[in-house]
Amino acid sequence: MRDYAELWEHAPSGQLLLDDDGLITAVNATFASWTGHAVADLLGTPFPALLPIGDRVLYTTHSLPQLMVTGRVAEASVQVNGADGRRHPALLSATRVTAGSSGAETRIVLVDARQRRRYEEELLAARRRAEESQALIAQAEAELTALVHHDSLTGLLNRAGLLHALLGRLGEGRTDRADGAVPTVLFLDLDGFKTVNDALGHTSGDELLQVVARRLRRASRAGADVARFAGDEFVVLDDVTPSAAGGVADRLLDVLAEPVVLQGVELVLAASVGICSAEVPVAPADLTDAADLLLRRADTAMYRAKAQGRGRWEAHRPGTADPGAERLVLLEQLRAAIRGDELRVHYQPRQHLASGTMSGVEALVRWQHPTRGLLQPAEFIDAAEESGVIRDLGAWVLTEAVAQAVRWDAAGGPPGLQVAVNLSARQLADPDLVPRVAGVLALAGLPASRLVLEITETALMSDPDEALGTLQELRSLGVLLAVDDFGTGYSSFTYLKQFPVDELKIDRSFVTGMTTDAGDRAIVASCVHLAHAMGLVAVAEGVETADERDALRALGCDQAQGYFFSRPVPSSELPVPGGVVPT
Amino acid sequence: MDAATRPVGPGRGAVAARLNVTSTGPVDAPVLLLAHGFGCDQGMWRGVLPHFAADHRVVRYDLMGAGGSDTTAYDPERYATLDGHAGDLLAVCAELDLRDVTVVAHSVSTMMAVLAAVREPGRFRQLVLVAPNPYFLDDPASGYSGGFSAADLAEVSAALDSNYFTWAEAFAPLIMGVPDEPGLGEELTASFCRVDPDIARQLLRTMFTTDFRPLLPEVTTPTLVLQCRADAMVPPSVGDHLHAHLAGSTLVQLSAVGHCPHISAPAETAAAIRAHLLTLR
Repeated sequence: MRDYAELWEHAPSGQLLLDDDGLITAVNATFASWTGHAVADLLGTPFPALLPIGDRVLYTTHSLPQLMVTGRVAEASVQVNGADGRRHPALLSATRVTAGSSGAETRIVLVDARQRRRYEEELLAARRRAEESQALIAQAEAELTALVHHDSLTGLLNRAGLLHALLGRLGEGRTDRADGAVPTVLFLDLDGFKTVNDALGHTSGDELLQVVARRLRRASRAGADVARFAGDEFVVLDDVTPSAAGGVADRLLDVLAEPVVLQGVELVLAASVGICSAEVPVAPADLTDAADLLLRRADTAMYRAKAQGRGRWEAHRPGTADPGAERLVLLEQLRAAIRGDELRVHYQPRQHLASGTMSGVEALVRWQHPTRGLLQPAEFIDAAEESGVIRDLGAWVLTEAVAQAVRWDAAGGPPGLQVAVNLSARQLADPDLVPRVAGVLALAGLPASRLVLEITETALMSDPDEALGTLQELRSLGVLLAVDDFGTGYSSFTYLKQFPVDELKIDRSFVTGMTTDAGDRAIVASCVHLAHAMGLVAVAEGVETADERDALRALGCDQAQGYFFSRPVPSSELPVPGGVVPT
Repeated sequence: MDAATRPVGPGRGAVAARLNVTSTGPVDAPVLLLAHGFGCDQGMWRGVLPHFAADHRVVRYDLMGAGGSDTTAYDPERYATLDGHAGDLLAVCAELDLRDVTVVAHSVSTMMAVLAAVREPGRFRQLVLVAPNPYFLDDPASGYSGGFSAADLAEVSAALDSNYFTWAEAFAPLIMGVPDEPGLGEELTASFCRVDPDIARQLLRTMFTTDFRPLLPEVTTPTLVLQCRADAMVPPSVGDHLHAHLAGSTLVQLSAVGHCPHISAPAETAAAIRAHLLTLR
């Protein structure tokens, strides 16, 4: 029988037996001579202690679980600490067997692997070099992307770079961040940049933009994205809580407010900022739309800030529709409504207070909107006025009201009934206004004295000199003129005296308060006196009660209109012919 | 794979497919989510599994880069910190609609569980941390001993490199039949503890260099800490540190030796967990 003990002791590999706790219970002579350890020193010690710490970690976390669960480990590359501190590269294989009552036993075989380890190290080094060169290529790509994403003048992100950053932030945007921060756009537009550019030249303009860029960068947090969006528009993008966004805007406005010296000229910059916080999370498919919406809303908010003066910020009001987009839709529908058959004119009678007879009507436009129902002027006149659609709208109302007066005449309505039509500031400034009014009257065959044009005090005073010329031309047509909403503007009596007007319409706010408020009553009284002193007809608006009517009568006011007499109604519902308004 | 264990679903979700999620036990029972540790895969829970499968819905998965996870979905940026892995844990919970979850996590997964519980505390009933270490490096300034020096970290990386080709080979795509075909147990056993060496390298660096100690006071979920004897990965003082900084935590000293008590002493580990399991709140 062969001597297996001899084979164990002097096998061509190091061999060890471990107990269930990993303690060495036997070790062969090959291992002892190879590592320089005395057998007696090794017995009872934990096997992993023979491994350098790195191998110990991998043995503990990877090889040992594998051994315990599957019963074997094959050719793990390890080093074994020698008694003299040198490390001996080896391949470790092991099996684990259940050996009767003594529990499980682990048998370890270690084969010298100096040569193999060297090959593997070289292979791995080559692989890492290849990875590094790949990393270099990736870096070059990243640099190219950076060029595409940055503005060459300021070094800030450009529009493309901003969009990229914004999409990234929206994609990651979470609602459950502990600090409540969400991606937020601060849209910034310099006030009066064009003036600087025009006065000092483009080079100075560019220099100014660079100064602004540096200041915005400085005033923003390290993690923020700062972009030059276009021309003199900048965007700061950061994750902040909605309540903190105003503070960020204040900081930006503060740093811009420091004077800048260009070509020896000291300039004080100002900007307007619009803020919009993202609503996160955003579905991946909606990212582009969400980014566009965020920028547009911030832009809209910026315009709102600018409308209030320099150096202000405004935030988008969440929950409200996008006013810019909504306005565009409204205007498009309004244009269609003018071409189509959706506009209506309602008429509100006015009364001679002394006689109780109807003296005339005021034409008021309504919009029979296909989905929103009958709209009052308040819902679309401002948009129409701002956009110029008011010219077509006003022309339509004028034509319709004049035509209606002719129809009433034909139906035997009260003789001389006056029709009042409102003119806006924009219409008043329209050079075509006078010929248009003349044309409409001529075409319908209505005497000019039957038409009253009402112009608000504010519209008259926005450019009084211009208004004076237009009013004189209109007056020369024979048209009557009324100052609407009188008392609410800042009338210069010098102008008022020059204006060839026929009526003062006292604003409803004073009429409403006159029976309860002595001040209001005094104002109405003054208006009536003023009108009479200037030879004008005094008309009260917004009369809602018999008391108000009686008070106006007592003050000597000439005419009145209001819900007390009649709401504005379609022409078919007007008590004409007959001409007596029920009191 | 154990016969009673089934891959989740026939209509397996994207997360379940990516992270090789498996489930066993009654679907309406309290949920135990088992998260394995570094250098291994979900198979390491097999000894513990029979102790809970009768009265718990036991869900297991493979960390990205380990076992049967889909490494084509590996994104180095996402997994540059443990946040990406913690996000995976939460994604498993979300996709399977797991609620009131007890997470049993081992080794590196313990800190993923802590991150997840800080991020979504409402999701979890209890954390069971097996052999946790919130910071592996020593921090003499604070008197904390994590068990390793910066030089040790380099050694561990080198050790990983020296096994690179073995690991890479072991991680070559498995040739497998239909996942729920029976009789696959042995074939899977042969590839047990598959780990992608490149992903393991990044995970190792992250777990060694990230200091999770500041996160501990933010944990509001009741926590059970299981500590082993003679654990090469966790010095004894770490258990005390965790116990002191995890409010309302319970520290249990196991008699099991080493870093993987659920493998070397599954019965003791299971008994310790069961003794401290919180029932419905």
